[in-house]
Amino acid sequence: MVAEYQTLLKPTSRSRRLQANLVVILATVATLIALVPLVAVASYVISQGAGVINLDFLTQDPPGDLSATGGGIRNAITGTLEMAGVATLIAAPIGILVAIFNTEVGGRIGAASRFIIDVLAALPSIVVGIFVYALVVVAQGHFSGFAGSLALAIIMLPVIVVSTEEMFRLLPRPISEGARALGFTRWRTYLSVFIPTALSGIFTGLLLAVSRAVGETAPLIFTSLGNNFFSTDMNEPMQALPLLIYRNALNSAFPAARDRAMGAALTLVAIVLAFNLLGRWLVSRRRLARNPGR
Amino acid sequence: MVRRRLRDGDLPFRVLALVVTAATLAVISLMMFDSVQTAWPIFQQFGIIGFVTGQEWSPAFTVYGAWPFLYGTLVTSAIALAIAVPISILIALLVTEILPPRLSQPVAIVVDLLAAVPSVVWGLWGLLVLLPIIRPFEHDVASGLGRVIPFLGGPTPGPSYFAAGLIVAMMIIPIVAAVTREVFAATPRLQREAVQALGGTRWDVVQRVVLPLGRTGIVAAVLLGLGRAIGETIAVTMVVGNNPLVGGSIFSPGYTLASVIANEFNEATETLHPEALIALGVVLLALAIAVNGAGLMVRRRFERSAGRGR
Repeated sequence: MVAEYQTLLKPTSRSRRLQANLVVILATVATLIALVPLVAVASYVISQGAGVINLDFLTQDPPGDLSATGGGIRNAITGTLEMAGVATLIAAPIGILVAIFNTEVGGRIGAASRFIIDVLAALPSIVVGIFVYALVVVAQGHFSGFAGSLALAIIMLPVIVVSTEEMFRLLPRPISEGARALGFTRWRTYLSVFIPTALSGIFTGLLLAVSRAVGETAPLIFTSLGNNFFSTDMNEPMQALPLLIYRNALNSAFPAARDRAMGAALTLVAIVLAFNLLGRWLVSRRRLARNPGR
Repeated sequence: MVRRRLRDGDLPFRVLALVVTAATLAVISLMMFDSVQTAWPIFQQFGIIGFVTGQEWSPAFTVYGAWPFLYGTLVTSAIALAIAVPISILIALLVTEILPPRLSQPVAIVVDLLAAVPSVVWGLWGLLVLLPIIRPFEHDVASGLGRVIPFLGGPTPGPSYFAAGLIVAMMIIPIVAAVTREVFAATPRLQREAVQALGGTRWDVVQRVVLPLGRTGIVAAVLLGLGRAIGETIAVTMVVGNNPLVGGSIFSPGYTLASVIANEFNEATETLHPEALIALGVVLLALAIAVNGAGLMVRRRFERSAGRGR
């Protein structure tokens, strides 16, 4: 090691400086390359979709025939929001309880539970769709918005658990000790101290989970299936934005289908970004609050 | 004691957390079991090995083999990793080693935004924009290099393993870059400064400290990226060509495990066809658990060694 470092003691030569600059150039170029598709996708979806979106497009349902012009994507917007909403209602309380369990329980049982959440996070979303199909759709005998919500909830669950656990772990120790000194039981501590203190962090995890679930297509193919009319009945097949984009894109030879896919894609990206950026904004605000000196 | 804890609400609270966690795990296990059970007739008829290595997929004749799809998943994922890993490592270097903190945060956030684009939107763009752009490139490579290396040969109809790999690369760059970034950021400051004190350049720090100490962490990042790549569905379905045969070239149209399930499921009416597709899902599940399990284990090992200060 010493001999190796001695070579460094030589005055910086031109070639070594050149090498150092080369890393900077390569890294910059690689980052720019990675950002080209992001800019390309964003500008394409905006330029193609913006002209399609108007009040009628957002408030009318699509025609039964993909190739027909007119109509809108109302049923897909309401379906996406309804299924994501129900998925959040399922996944949020369960996720927070599992996070508490994982924080409180050590040993082999805690490790097993954490491992299963890790596995769940790693499952391809299409496999989650198959799971729900095999358990719910086959048993019920038909596709349903509820099955779609359940699939989305399973996709959201590990995101919520991991981010909530992280929040509990980051809480300063004096808070926990203070609660104990006041004679709080554990559940009181969570209910009155931990959860309120970590609330913005938990909420951030929720928003990021929703932004991921809203963009999922594959699991819905097996669960909510999609349809062409307006329906809010969770027991019936339900349309969603990603499903509508997928089916119209595959028929993009028809100008009407292509336009509909573009308008829906811009709407979907806007919804995903809204949840995503809101979540990030909360994170950055929380960081500032914790380090008020900066 | 028990009565006191009951009155405090501590015991019911613990029981509630336990029951909810156990129920969640039970439901997941039940779903896994149900899926394997639904696919069981396929494994029974063709054998597990026979199904996985089966070359032919023709629902009309009730012949089901998974190999063309497994092959497609492996080839597209390999192409995606070959493109994404070097780029991701360089992005992580830029963010942790080169840019000042004021700039590195925004760059990291913008790279993360790649992950916010929904799969179906990548697919839409890939189908209508990327395919027409890369087709001349595919043609040039196939008619040049392709004459020497069959794996790069023609014909080049457009949708292909390569197109799918390229799209998946864009989708996994934010994941691989994010994990690699954490790995590089965990490099002990002392060793970094030691090289700098000896007059080392930035390249010396990267080459002698950051990369060697981060090797395990980079492997974990690659495995987690691979885990994501094999499960990518909709975007791949839209650009891979949907051809249930093993393609001889990376420019051949093909299929992957996830994309054949998504594409054929709603029209699966032949005998055992839905069961065969679910069996493909079970193969995908096993692959995903193996790859991600390895990734998690390697990552834990890296975190432990980083925690000890090495």
